[in-house]
Amino acid sequence: MTDIAMRSRRATLVQREFVRFSVGQRLEHLLTMVCFGVLLLTGLPQKFSDASISIWVVNSLGGIDNVRFVHRVFATVFIFSAFYHVGAIGLSLIRGKFNLSMAPSLRDFVDALVMLRYSVGLSNSKPRFGRYDYRQKFEYWGIVYGGIIMIVTGLTLWFPTYATRILPGEVVPAAKEMHTGEALLALLVIVTWHMYSVILSPSHFPGDWSIFTGKISHEKIKEEHPLEYIALVGGDLEELPDRAQTPAAVAASSRDGEPEQAGESTNDEPGKG
Amino acid sequence: MGGLALAVLSVLARAGFASAGRIPDPPASAQATAGMSDEECLRCHSDPNASLSLPSGETISLYSDPAVFRRSVHGDKLNCADCHVRNQTVPHPSLNVVTARDFHRAEYELCKRCHFENYTRTLDSMHFDVVAAGNAYAPVCTDCHTAHSVMRLAESHVQIAKTCSQCHGAIYDDYVQSVHGSALQSEGNPDVPVCTTCHGVHNIQSATTAAFRLASVDMCAQCHASKGLMDKYGISSNVLKTYLNDFHGKTVGFYQKQSSEVWAETPVCFDCHGVHNITRVDDPNSPVIKENLLPTCRRCHPDATANFPSAWLSHYEPSVNRAPIVFFVREYYRFLIPVMIVGLIMHISLDLWRLARNR
Repeated sequence: MTDIAMRSRRATLVQREFVRFSVGQRLEHLLTMVCFGVLLLTGLPQKFSDASISIWVVNSLGGIDNVRFVHRVFATVFIFSAFYHVGAIGLSLIRGKFNLSMAPSLRDFVDALVMLRYSVGLSNSKPRFGRYDYRQKFEYWGIVYGGIIMIVTGLTLWFPTYATRILPGEVVPAAKEMHTGEALLALLVIVTWHMYSVILSPSHFPGDWSIFTGKISHEKIKEEHPLEYIALVGGDLEELPDRAQTPAAVAASSRDGEPEQAGESTNDEPGKG
Repeated sequence: MGGLALAVLSVLARAGFASAGRIPDPPASAQATAGMSDEECLRCHSDPNASLSLPSGETISLYSDPAVFRRSVHGDKLNCADCHVRNQTVPHPSLNVVTARDFHRAEYELCKRCHFENYTRTLDSMHFDVVAAGNAYAPVCTDCHTAHSVMRLAESHVQIAKTCSQCHGAIYDDYVQSVHGSALQSEGNPDVPVCTTCHGVHNIQSATTAAFRLASVDMCAQCHASKGLMDKYGISSNVLKTYLNDFHGKTVGFYQKQSSEVWAETPVCFDCHGVHNITRVDDPNSPVIKENLLPTCRRCHPDATANFPSAWLSHYEPSVNRAPIVFFVREYYRFLIPVMIVGLIMHISLDLWRLARNR
C-alpha cells in the first residue's frame, strides 16, 4: 500500500488536472451537439411523418416549411463546422502540431479483443489506451463517415435538380433513404453508445464532462489513457497501477495527490515535471 | 315601378287535362288539402299560351303540363297548391318582380318548405357566394332540378354531368374527353366520378381554395386507394401511400394537419395528372407519361434536366427491378441498424458485467 502510494506520489505531484481539449475542440463538440439535436428534432418528424408526436413537433415549430427552414439553417452550420474541423487539422499540420492520436491502427483492433477477453473474464488486465481508445475512435470516425454521408445526401435532397445534372434521377430517392437511415443509425448509436460511454457507465457516472470543461483529472487520465499519461509526464508504464487488480490502490492514490493548480498542458506539450 | 301589381289572369282557362300517356294518379290526399284543387289551377295553367309579361319586357310561360308533373318525383305526392301556397286565391296576389330571373329566384324559395336541409346547404355553397356577390344567375334549386319535372338526379350520373354542363360547358367538354368522362359517356360506367363526386352536391365549395387543394388528395384516394375498385381496372391502389411517402406527399400531409390554412405549392394529384381532362397514364397525351414528364416537372422545377424526372419513382415501391439503388440502400440500413445497435448493447452489457464482478 505504502509502496504504491509512494510510486503514485511522483505522478500526482506533476499535476492534478490536465488539459484534454482546447477551447476550439470544446466549441466544436458543443456546435456538433446542438446541430445534431436540432437536425434530429427537425428531421425525424419528417421520416416518421405519421406519428402523432411528429405532427405535434412540426405544428409546434410553426409548420413543415419552418421545420425545413430550421433544418437547412442548422445543416449549413453543421457543414461549416465540418469545414472548420478539416481546416483546424490543416492548420495543425502546417504548424507541425498534428499528431495521429485519432488515427485508427491495428492496435485498436487488438485493444478491442483484449477488452473483450477482459470483459468476459479471460484476462485480468485491461488494454492500455493512448489519448483515444478504440471506442472513442469508433465514435469519431463514425461521425466523420456519417457526417459526410449526411452532408452529401442532404445537399442532394436540397438541390435535386443540380444533383441530377450529372447523376441519374434515382440518386435522389436513394439519397433520401440514405439520409434518413444514417440519421436513425446516428441517433441510436448516440443514445445507446455515447450516452453510456460518457454518462451512464459506472466508470463515469454522473458524467465525463471533460469535453465541456476541457480538463481531465489526474487519476482519470492515468486510468483511462495511461499511454498518453506516460507520454505527458514520463515515467514507466509498469509502475502504473492496474485498477482491475488493485482498485483500492488507485482510489487511495487519488486521495493522496496534493492539490496543485491546473496546468496549461495539452497532449502536444508534455506537462511540467 | 315599385309596388307593381301584376294580374296573373291575363289568360283564359281552357278546360280539361292535356292528357298524354299513362299518368300517375294524384295523391289520395289531394281532395283533402286546403285551398284550390288542381282542376281549378289547370283551368288557366293548362293553356300552352298562358304567359305573363314582366316590367323588364320579358314574358314567362304560365303553362304547366300536368302529365309532366305527374311523372316527376313529386307526381304522386304533391298537388299544385302544396307548393304554390300563396296563389290559392284568384286573382293571385301581386308579384313584386322586374325580371324573369327575379321571378324564378322568388319562386325557388318554395322548395325549402320541404327540403330545408338541402336548402340550407346551398346557402353554404360557392354558388350562393356568387349570388351574394351580385350575380343573379348563379343556380338555385329549380335551375338544376327544374320546377315541375323534377327527377332523382342522383340516380343518373349522365344526367348530373349534363345538368352541370348547362353552365360549365367548357369543363364538361374537357370532362367527356377524359378517362373518367369518356367511360361515363360510352358505357355509363358507374364507378367513374362525375362532377358531384368531387365537388359535392348542395354545399359545393370553391375548387380554388387552399383547403380544397389539400383535401383533393384524399378525394382522389377515395377511389384510387381502394384495392377492390382499382383491381377491377388493373390500376395500382398504392398511389396514395407512395405519394405520401415521397417529398411532395409528406409536405402535403403535414399541411393537412396544420391548424392554419396553407396554400400548398407542392403538387397534389391533379397538378401532374390533370384535372377535368385527366387521361390514362399510358395515354400519349398524358402529362405524366415518361415522354411528357420533364415538361411537367419543369412547371415547378424550371432548371430540371433530362435525368430529373426519374427522381420520382412513379408511384412504385423500390424493388430489385425498379429503383434497385434505393432498394439496396434501404435494405442496407435495415440490416446495419439492428446489427450495430445489438453489437453496441452487447459491448455495454459485457462492460457492465465486468464492472459488477470488479466490485
